[in-house]
Amino acid sequence: MAGLGKEYKEGEVIVRQGETGNCMFVIQDGEVEAVAEANGKELRLRTMGPNEFFGEMALFENETRTATIRATRPTRILTIDKKNFLGGIHEDPSLAFRIVQTMSHRIRDLTDRLAKFEEGD
Amino acid sequence: MRMAEDLGLARDVGRKAQESQAWALQDGSRIAVIGAGPAGSMFSYFFLTMAETIGLDVGVDMYEPRRFCHRGPAGCNHCGGVVSETLIQRLATEGIMLPDSVVQRGIESYTLHMDVGDVEIATPLMEKRIAAIYRGNGPRQSVPLDTHSFDGYLLQLAEQKGARIISRLVTDVRREEDLMSVHCADQHCDQYELVVVASGVNSRLSEMLESQSHNFKRPARTKTFICEFHLGREVIRETFGPSMHVFLLDIPRLEFAALIPKGDYVTLCLLGDDIDDELMERFFSSPEVQNRFPGAIIPEHACHCYPRINIRAAVPAYGDRLVMIGDSGSTRLFKDGIGAAYKTAKAAAKTAVFHGVGAENFERHYAPLCQKINRDNQVGKFVFSVASLVQKARFARRGILHMTANEQKQTVSPRRMSDVLWDLFSGSESYTNVFLRTLHPAYIGSLLKNLVVGNLPGSAGRNAHSSSQENGHVQH
Amino acid sequence: MSSTRPGGENPAAPSFRIRAQQLEKLPPCQAQCPNSGDVRGWLGVIAQHKKNKLTLDEAYDKAWQILAELNPLPATIGRICPHPCEDLCSRRDKDGAISINAMERFLGDWAISRSLPLPRAGAAKYAESIGVIGSGPASLSFAYQMARRGYDVTMYEKHEFPGGMLRHAIPDYRLPREILDAEVERVLDMNISLVRNIDVGSSVDLEKLRDKHTLIFLGLGAQGARELGIPGEQGPGVISGIDYLQHRKRQPESQHGKQVLVVGGGNTAIDAARSARRDGASVTLLYRRSETEMPAAAHEVEDARTEGVEFRFLVSPTRIVRDGSEIRELHMQEMRLAEADEQGRRRPVSIPGRVQKIAADVVIVAVAQAPDWEGMGVLAGGQEWLHTRDDGKLDEDIWAGGDDRGPGIASKAIAQGRYAAEAAHAELRGQENPRERSARKAIHNGAVKMDFYSEQQRTVGCRRSQQERLSDPESEIDQTISYEQACQEASRCMSCGLCFDCQQCFMYCNKAGFTRIDETRPGNYFVLALEACEGCGKCIEVCPCAYLEARDR
Repeated sequence: MAGLGKEYKEGEVIVRQGETGNCMFVIQDGEVEAVAEANGKELRLRTMGPNEFFGEMALFENETRTATIRATRPTRILTIDKKNFLGGIHEDPSLAFRIVQTMSHRIRDLTDRLAKFEEGD
Repeated sequence: MRMAEDLGLARDVGRKAQESQAWALQDGSRIAVIGAGPAGSMFSYFFLTMAETIGLDVGVDMYEPRRFCHRGPAGCNHCGGVVSETLIQRLATEGIMLPDSVVQRGIESYTLHMDVGDVEIATPLMEKRIAAIYRGNGPRQSVPLDTHSFDGYLLQLAEQKGARIISRLVTDVRREEDLMSVHCADQHCDQYELVVVASGVNSRLSEMLESQSHNFKRPARTKTFICEFHLGREVIRETFGPSMHVFLLDIPRLEFAALIPKGDYVTLCLLGDDIDDELMERFFSSPEVQNRFPGAIIPEHACHCYPRINIRAAVPAYGDRLVMIGDSGSTRLFKDGIGAAYKTAKAAAKTAVFHGVGAENFERHYAPLCQKINRDNQVGKFVFSVASLVQKARFARRGILHMTANEQKQTVSPRRMSDVLWDLFSGSESYTNVFLRTLHPAYIGSLLKNLVVGNLPGSAGRNAHSSSQENGHVQH
Repeated sequence: MSSTRPGGENPAAPSFRIRAQQLEKLPPCQAQCPNSGDVRGWLGVIAQHKKNKLTLDEAYDKAWQILAELNPLPATIGRICPHPCEDLCSRRDKDGAISINAMERFLGDWAISRSLPLPRAGAAKYAESIGVIGSGPASLSFAYQMARRGYDVTMYEKHEFPGGMLRHAIPDYRLPREILDAEVERVLDMNISLVRNIDVGSSVDLEKLRDKHTLIFLGLGAQGARELGIPGEQGPGVISGIDYLQHRKRQPESQHGKQVLVVGGGNTAIDAARSARRDGASVTLLYRRSETEMPAAAHEVEDARTEGVEFRFLVSPTRIVRDGSEIRELHMQEMRLAEADEQGRRRPVSIPGRVQKIAADVVIVAVAQAPDWEGMGVLAGGQEWLHTRDDGKLDEDIWAGGDDRGPGIASKAIAQGRYAAEAAHAELRGQENPRERSARKAIHNGAVKMDFYSEQQRTVGCRRSQQERLSDPESEIDQTISYEQACQEASRCMSCGLCFDCQQCFMYCNKAGFTRIDETRPGNYFVLALEACEGCGKCIEVCPCAYLEARDR
């Protein structure tokens, strides 16, 4: 009973690549994996645990989800509405600080992986 | 006390063209936060987080003589204990997640009880995004389970950021030369570059500050009633579910009554104009309460209190090296006081870190938020006066019940009435926003239609309790 | 809801309300003190001196006066008392009990250095004449309490100098003579006449004194030592603990044992062992139970060990073997502990066939003491001890206190002297016996809210090292804490059961039910107006010291 958010079973998909979405998610408990599908093959991008968030790109751009997010075990997830989020940032821009920081880390991570990938090619 | 000496609170600083750097905090500066409720803890947390990002090294002393690990009123900051949907999302975005031991129950719906029937309003996402929490460590006679205080959790976050907790009762704040001095009951005294007053309206500190400053008016307060009923986890799950129960009753001076399910307890919260025995008597003997809560009686020695709430902001809420946040300054009328504590705490912290601690800095960067809250409360007063008109008019209640029930049944979109009620009761939206939506022609049109239909003979509202089968959401 | 509501009754009627009351309770320190010393009271005067507009000097003076009302010998008791008051101090399990004994000693020394006179109780003068036999702690306490109430007191002492066991048995390294002299002198300054070198029972008849005085107090002590009753005990080289200590006080370093055995586990045995160690002997203490059963104060045992006293537990002497008149060795039976007796102490029983031998040239026997009834046996009615009423009354005009009523620590003797004086005074004045007044309510366990108090380490005074103690045997081991330390230590007192002005009730009562008093003093800071009370009980729960409590319905 205690605990916030919505529960997902192991293997349950939270967002699917290609769908449109208007919210982001914060993991309360459990673990999810981000998987990108390309040419019929699945590429596992990363796993995320409590207090990490995903789906934030859909808040800034009106585009489709870039990856599929799946629970790897029973997981509880809190949704953050686009309206609430953008309203909050309008009132207090510093609210975006943590998101920007995380996005920056992810870009750095991707850059590194890309560089390694090109090297190995 | 020293009437002649002035705390130096700013009434009208006047906006200068250029903000001076005179009041900027330096490395090694020290600030005092009086009170470690949500406002004080969130101020310290955000202040230290932001100071760290810009490499500013400032010591934060938090004065709090009480302990949130105590059960009963001693460890509690007295409120119904609901963290709004909006605040839950804001905190999650900030990276603050409420642990399960703090969340006594996730709330996913509101059940509205009226004489004309009951209706349950669910969140659109069917997701638990409202948290029922204990401000202290649970009711007086509760058994210590693995529950934790909400206030205690926030304080722990502040402490982890480096705030030092000083277990002393502050009895006086004085301006001494160029600094503020904090005086405690045990004769301890210390000086600070900034004093943040977050002692709320349930302590006499603001009264004492008012008595020694001729231009400071402490917040106006009214009396509310909160009581904890032990029913047991199972009974609560069956009777109340993950729903907050709101009563819209025709009882003079009662603005709002709610039963909030927690772990083993249900919290009763009565808000209005000086809740007294007579009003409580009328509430308990009303059929709506008796139906949901038969034979309701407050058990002997039950944990209860009459907390005061802020119904008019402190003026002014800042001065040179002094700022009042949370309930000590401006807060939202009746609802989401914790959300207001978050906003005022963060705005004050930002001002202190990035701009300075002078009245002029707070005037420019903090006052606008307070003014916005105060203005919204004006709208809120109007909204509640409309709501009390509805409470008096049975035909209006039928219309509202009908419209909401239909929206819930048919999953009509947009759910105009449901959303208005949801935002009003949960405190998720500003009163201004709620009010503006009620001016929407579609809302008015729909309401008029439902007023007619809802009052036709044979409608759900007319035969409230007998014809409840008609409507899947009408509760017994 | 399971509870049903009687028809028509207001559900919100005050049945669920909690009504607070301010009620002073008996703190554990006072409950534990044989003399019921108002420890919290005198610590509070110091700790709260600023709140009550006293300088620290004034606060120390006042604290000493409170202390001296019940105990005229604080510098002495502050040195030798095993301080049971500290045993149940609420602070004990947090960061150490308050150093009550060290505080008492500090105040005692403070008063001596400032020549503060003992406080009188009113200006009355009474015609009755009071005779006090003996000048130990019980007699000094009785004489003081009578004299300060306005009686004419004469004290009769067997020896030249007054003080009883305090003077004759307590070694100088625990209690310097000048301290005792100063405190005894101050008692005598209350207009008490001292008759020296008079042995009531032999040089003067008790009946004569009874005729002379309205009332007689007996503080005879217990200077008769028990013997072991084993072969070889009679003869040179065997001495009782009390005789040894008295002798040594008069003629230091007179005993020249090389291998000294001390038999017994009480404080006299420990004092004797440590004294013999100071005289250069190697000392072994024999005790028939184990260390946990020892009646001696644990810190004294520890000090003795530090100074090189050897301990042999679970042994009981059976024979002293002599070479002619010289002692050669002692035989002892090994013991084991059986089940506990009525007093809860485990009984020693011998292990058959297990006998040990230990070399010795002096054996000090300190197993037990009893009063010496020479010439006054009729008072005891043939029994070992005096059996008085609780308040010390033995006969129409005779009262008694101290070790002649049974062994105990000095503060118990002081208490008995005081209680006897209070009762005797009441009787002489035709007043109600003060001891029959109802006692204050004790604080129930856990009522003091420990986590309201910040951690603050216990103050410990400086002590002489082991080398210094043995090279300068008579110099005092413990040093008095400083002026600053005393104030610091007083501030650690949690003031269990009495308001110390933490102001939380005042600050958090939503109805402003607590009003500050103009003339404050410890325990008296706020008045509570119940007319305004909303009954939430918050004030009771935020009261750290358990002064506020719920009223019974």
